[in-house]
Amino acid sequence: MTTTESRPAGTSGAGESTTLTLIQAITLGMQGEMRRDPRVVVFGEDVGARGGVFLATAGLQQEFGEERVFDTPLSEAAIVGAAVGMAVRGLRPIAEIQFADYMGPGFDQLVSQAAKLRYRSGGQFSCPMVVRTPSGGGVKGGHHHSQSPEAYYCHTPGLKVVMPSTPYDALGLLRAAVRGADPVIYFEPKRLYRAVKGEVPTEDYIVELGRAAVRQSGTDLSLIGYGGVMPDVLKAAQALGEQGVSVEVLDLRSLVPWDREAVMASVARTGRAVLVSEAPRIGSFMTEVASSIQEDVFDSLLAPVGLVAGFDTPYPYAQDRVYLPGAGRIVNAAVQTLNYG
Amino acid sequence: MIHPLPTPVQYLGEDGSVRPGVTLPGTPDDWYALWHTMLLVREYDRKLVTLLRQGRTTFYAQAAGMEATQVGIGRALRPGHDWVWGYYRDQGIALTMGARLQDLAAQMLGSNSDPNRGRQMPHHYGSAQINFVSASSSIANQVPPATGTALAQKMLGTDEVTVCTFGDGATSEGDWHAGLNMAGVQQVPCVFVCENNQWAISTPLSRQTASDGIVAKAAGYGMPGVQVDGNDVLAVWAVVQEAVDRARRGGGPTLVEALTYRMGAHSNADADAEKTYRSREEVQHWQARDPLVRFERFLERQGHSISAAQRSEAVASLHRQIDEAIQEAENSGQPDWRSMFEDVYADMPVHLRRQYQQLRLEQEAGQS
Repeated sequence: MTTTESRPAGTSGAGESTTLTLIQAITLGMQGEMRRDPRVVVFGEDVGARGGVFLATAGLQQEFGEERVFDTPLSEAAIVGAAVGMAVRGLRPIAEIQFADYMGPGFDQLVSQAAKLRYRSGGQFSCPMVVRTPSGGGVKGGHHHSQSPEAYYCHTPGLKVVMPSTPYDALGLLRAAVRGADPVIYFEPKRLYRAVKGEVPTEDYIVELGRAAVRQSGTDLSLIGYGGVMPDVLKAAQALGEQGVSVEVLDLRSLVPWDREAVMASVARTGRAVLVSEAPRIGSFMTEVASSIQEDVFDSLLAPVGLVAGFDTPYPYAQDRVYLPGAGRIVNAAVQTLNYG
Repeated sequence: MIHPLPTPVQYLGEDGSVRPGVTLPGTPDDWYALWHTMLLVREYDRKLVTLLRQGRTTFYAQAAGMEATQVGIGRALRPGHDWVWGYYRDQGIALTMGARLQDLAAQMLGSNSDPNRGRQMPHHYGSAQINFVSASSSIANQVPPATGTALAQKMLGTDEVTVCTFGDGATSEGDWHAGLNMAGVQQVPCVFVCENNQWAISTPLSRQTASDGIVAKAAGYGMPGVQVDGNDVLAVWAVVQEAVDRARRGGGPTLVEALTYRMGAHSNADADAEKTYRSREEVQHWQARDPLVRFERFLERQGHSISAAQRSEAVASLHRQIDEAIQEAENSGQPDWRSMFEDVYADMPVHLRRQYQQLRLEQEAGQS
């Protein structure tokens, strides 16, 4: 049975569960979808015998063969473009782009083909495909292995954009993405691959795209984030809790579509919001959230919306950890918001 | 500048004579059908240029001069079975595969009866009925998807073939190389056809590539390359047919370069082509190699000549059909504003529903 109920990781229901890392959940997600649906194929650079540079596809070629799990030429344009053409002809491609930073050559395929085909053909053709790609910093990767480029894709109508931060969501969102009818960019916060563990039900479930998760309920302040920053957001919430602040924590999980309703409900209740993202600030997705909050629940606000973001510099190698919005910076922004006026 | 033709495959001499040693494809009935479709493409072109000048549409990319290439490609395919990832100028392929004139005209006008629902600028036709994927405007970005579709056909165990077309300019794009490279590696059933009309808007072939023709690039991707006289419909049909048949049998991809010429402008944007970047001599050189004239000479030599009366009757009939199609498209009106929000995704997400509601209120206020 497939359930669409979303539960926070680590609080699985009555059924059996297993403890997985984020990357194990992703691997399990692909394996399960390939077993369920013979149309699902996995390809990209080094995903075959090697199992991907991060080993996300480890074991898949051994189980499903070189036809369904294969290495491609080193060409993001070919990988993404082929996924478009395969999806149009009836397969369910999962394409891996080795690092989100390398999407450049495939960008036109995403924005001009994948995102537009259903629309420009009046619904005659569509691209049900998933592009998986590790993104974000914190792994000493320099700016070509550490960027958070999700805003480029959020700005493109026709694409769906998700970024899990827990194994439960990683699995549930991946299933939803593969089973959906639209192209999905599935960003994987690579520094969480093995840094987070969580319980994942053994039963089949999906996490519907466009629904945020409340990680912690509170009444004084809404801390809202997604992806790689979530462990630090939770740390900050804990620190604030120790100071007597009741913090509500939301994990967006999905950026397009995003859960405007859940955000507004939370901010209307708490009156204060701090948004956290490691992407550069200008034009980041969180600026859309901030704008929407002032549009929808301005009267509820007790303080300006706080925004903790990456800096508008290329991602620096040496200052890796300083660049990222850690718990300290999040707490500072929260305190400023709490002390406003 | 007049580019020399190296040694392309040619079935018909410029006087319509049959080259020694060739076996002509098709029967006289097929030849008549080819001629009729080429005439349709030519007259459609004429009508659409007029439509443009009258301000009844906003963009059209002329195909006059390229009829033999496009009709030859289309003739080699099984409509509704094989797939085409073409480019915007490919009305000749679509018409050969059975595209409805009404649909082409409706797409040209972005009208309510447009199967693409008025979503793309004019001349970007697409139809799921004939597996003709709706054209993008970005150059060469249909090439990797064509490889993907062919790969899917191979993986699904079908005997379908994909044809991917593009102009000479497209061969300079990264996507073109990425797509052909992967097609070669994966040995997919795809035939890539360069409709080399010598010009990418105002940039000549000599500024596009330093190689000896586009066909020279085939070797780099491990596939056969064939250069064909693109103004010789029988040679194009035969060459593409052979490549299609090989692909269908699992023999992998082929690159075909059809040497032809765009007699008119790229589009209305460069209607002054002859004043700005092309010489009168060059245009005259190619006009003397008009593919329709050549084919009519061939038919005459074969004893199936088309009389002046037959020709003008056919032209008049085609004009009526085209006019009716355009009229029907115009009569269908404009697509409703509400449809703007549909087909972005399979289901309308909440943010689009919200924007739709906002516009609905504005529209209603404006109408009251």
